[in-house]
Amino acid sequence: MTAAPPRPPDAPLAQWDGVTVRYPHARRDAVGPVSLAIRPGERMLLLGPSGSGKSTLLQTLTGTIPRTTPATVTGKVRIGAANAADRPPSAWADTVAQFFQDADQTLTGLRAADEIAFALENRGLPETVIERRVREAMARTGLPEDWRDRRTSTLSGGEKQLVALAATLVADAPVFVADEPTASLAPAVARRVYDLVLRSPGQNAVLIVDHRLDTMIGAIDRIAILDDRGALILEGAPASVFRAHGDRLDSHGIWTPLVNRFDRALGRIGLSPDEPPLTMDALARHLEGLPAEARMKARKAVAEAATSMLPRQNRTAGRTVAALHRAACAPLFGPTVLDDLSLQVRAGEVVGIVGSNGAGKSTLGASLAGLLRLKAGRRDGAPGAIAFQNPENQFLEASVRDELAASLPKAARGDRISRILARWRLEGVSRQHPYELSQGQKRRLALACLTATDRWPLLVLDEPTCGLDASGVRTVTDTICELAGDGRAIAVITHDMDFALAVCDRLVVLADGGLLAEGAPADILRDADLLARADLAPPAMLPVLDWLERVPC
Amino acid sequence: MLNGLHPLPKLVVCLVWILGSILIFDLGFQLATIGLAAGVLIVLERRSPFLVIALMVPFALFGFGFLTTSVLFRQDSGFALQMAAETPFGAPAVSAGLILFFRAIACGMVSALFVLTTDPGALIKALMVHWRLPPSVGFALFQALNLVPDLGREMQQIRLARAMRRGRPPRRVPGPAELLSLIVPLLAYAIRRAGRSALAMEARGLAPGARRTVTNAPSLTRRDGAFVIASGLVFLLTLLISV
Repeated sequence: MTAAPPRPPDAPLAQWDGVTVRYPHARRDAVGPVSLAIRPGERMLLLGPSGSGKSTLLQTLTGTIPRTTPATVTGKVRIGAANAADRPPSAWADTVAQFFQDADQTLTGLRAADEIAFALENRGLPETVIERRVREAMARTGLPEDWRDRRTSTLSGGEKQLVALAATLVADAPVFVADEPTASLAPAVARRVYDLVLRSPGQNAVLIVDHRLDTMIGAIDRIAILDDRGALILEGAPASVFRAHGDRLDSHGIWTPLVNRFDRALGRIGLSPDEPPLTMDALARHLEGLPAEARMKARKAVAEAATSMLPRQNRTAGRTVAALHRAACAPLFGPTVLDDLSLQVRAGEVVGIVGSNGAGKSTLGASLAGLLRLKAGRRDGAPGAIAFQNPENQFLEASVRDELAASLPKAARGDRISRILARWRLEGVSRQHPYELSQGQKRRLALACLTATDRWPLLVLDEPTCGLDASGVRTVTDTICELAGDGRAIAVITHDMDFALAVCDRLVVLADGGLLAEGAPADILRDADLLARADLAPPAMLPVLDWLERVPC
Repeated sequence: MLNGLHPLPKLVVCLVWILGSILIFDLGFQLATIGLAAGVLIVLERRSPFLVIALMVPFALFGFGFLTTSVLFRQDSGFALQMAAETPFGAPAVSAGLILFFRAIACGMVSALFVLTTDPGALIKALMVHWRLPPSVGFALFQALNLVPDLGREMQQIRLARAMRRGRPPRRVPGPAELLSLIVPLLAYAIRRAGRSALAMEARGLAPGARRTVTNAPSLTRRDGAFVIASGLVFLLTLLISV
């Protein structure tokens, strides 16, 4: 018997070879054809519009699709030299650690410490080793020690995501697959997570799907891009792919880093740097180094690009639509999480609610909308509506079309439903059950239902950009601006500081069980101490905005 | 105080006591059992007496049929008399219906004592470690235990979504019509959640038949031995005094 030849050091750890996936009763493939390989030590980013099948592709890696979720898969999926289909998904757990898009799909509903220990227990490791690694994973992800005994189902969305991440990282598998690992995390926490996942030394490969490109793009070795039908259309080093194909990606509604959008704007007037910049600071340094005349030209191009990304007009706020006076806010049957809080939202105004994970943002949103009774204090104003953080909570009907129809008065239905479906790019899924949609599509449907009618003078949007592609966020941004322009009061709960800067007239910062600060976004987001205290981070665009202010017209 | 004990000896003691309540057809024994369980909950476990009384209500309702027959109609049901005749220990010096009524409460209070002083997670871990409960069954039990509070939370979210469409906050306590209308969406949620949990566990390596470690499982100590001996003595003493 001869021994198997040793694997070359750069042999792929995971590989898709001509893979397509089609779900039962579907008329077209959910994803594919895709041929892709990931090598030891490589950090790969998978991009594509929402509904392009990114999550589906990731789940084929260990055979969850088609073994657990039925589908027809063609082509070959390999882990190392083995065919992934030869073993059950559970047998790949020590090779591939998977972080699913929905944290509830990663967690099993146990206590936090048990969740983190679960994968190691399944490997039969000694208890002392497991205990040590659980402690290390909690420390690495910044989980407080007193969370050990907390049931994961009692955590906020962001807190769950952090526990799920610790539970995945603790496996220390050669391949780490993460589907939007920071979608619900406060910006400062998200940065820590990127450092942890992408900048750790070692030969572990990372395949990540995410939209916060500016924070992580510097640590990515290669990107792979799917089009809206799930076919692999581009692959290569991020800087060169974004510079060469950025306009095309924009037209597909695929995220490109902000820095790349400015780089392309400069490229159109021949002033882009030789090497594509990967950070806004690098771009600002390039701009500083330009000769005076070129700098004036660059300023005009950069200002135009910045204006297109900051569509907020100078709106005038009208009468008060809803107000909380010295309110004590608590979730239904839960303890008070915010105390002695006073806040007003006026017609035609967009108020951003920001803060760390578990700060009580969603509770404040529901209290502001009048859906939660206050433990103390008073609420004045008409009832509002809320787009829940988990869009599934909002769906009560059997199809996308029915869900929209239920949101509209009978007389107003007719063509209006088709127009709304087209606006939110949901025409192709109008007959599907809302739960069958991708996360991005679910989010779009929830927002479409809420914004379709003018019955609510106040709308609270809880993480409206979470899981959306660039095109979806553009639609959300335009819709918010339109609604505010029509005199609607809007409250936006968000972790995306660039989005907050783009749409909000005022920001409210929550921390330590109350209101920490309130003011204009530009002022709040430049206050480094305040941002650090609330686990926030400055918007990626800030260095360029600062440069624009420094350079006179 | 009983929270710190290993769940399995505690389970055995409670099962023995329930078995005693079933076999010993004596009013004194049943009353002593109720008194002991309530006393432990109030004195040692610092539970509110109102809670303890409230806990007795469902068990009292269960035994109410025997009580109405014996007290209101001054005769025992055929079933009660037959039970009295077939029970090996004790004889019904008082109405058999009354004894059956208090027996229902006694068994219920011993169960309540166990439930209120035992961490369900620790119990399942102990069952997996000491009684070889298969992990797939153990984690299914974990899921079932967690489902109840999760269903409560999901119900509140659905109620908030509906309240939003109606334009007014939800009532504190849902009415019967609202509760009925929540059954189907909650069932759908339970099925969806079960599927997701199965996927999550499989993706993290849970496989039937595979050897696995159970961390933080409770271990037996001398306190557990002392508890079993003390419980045995109290049981015998109660038996001697009451029968």
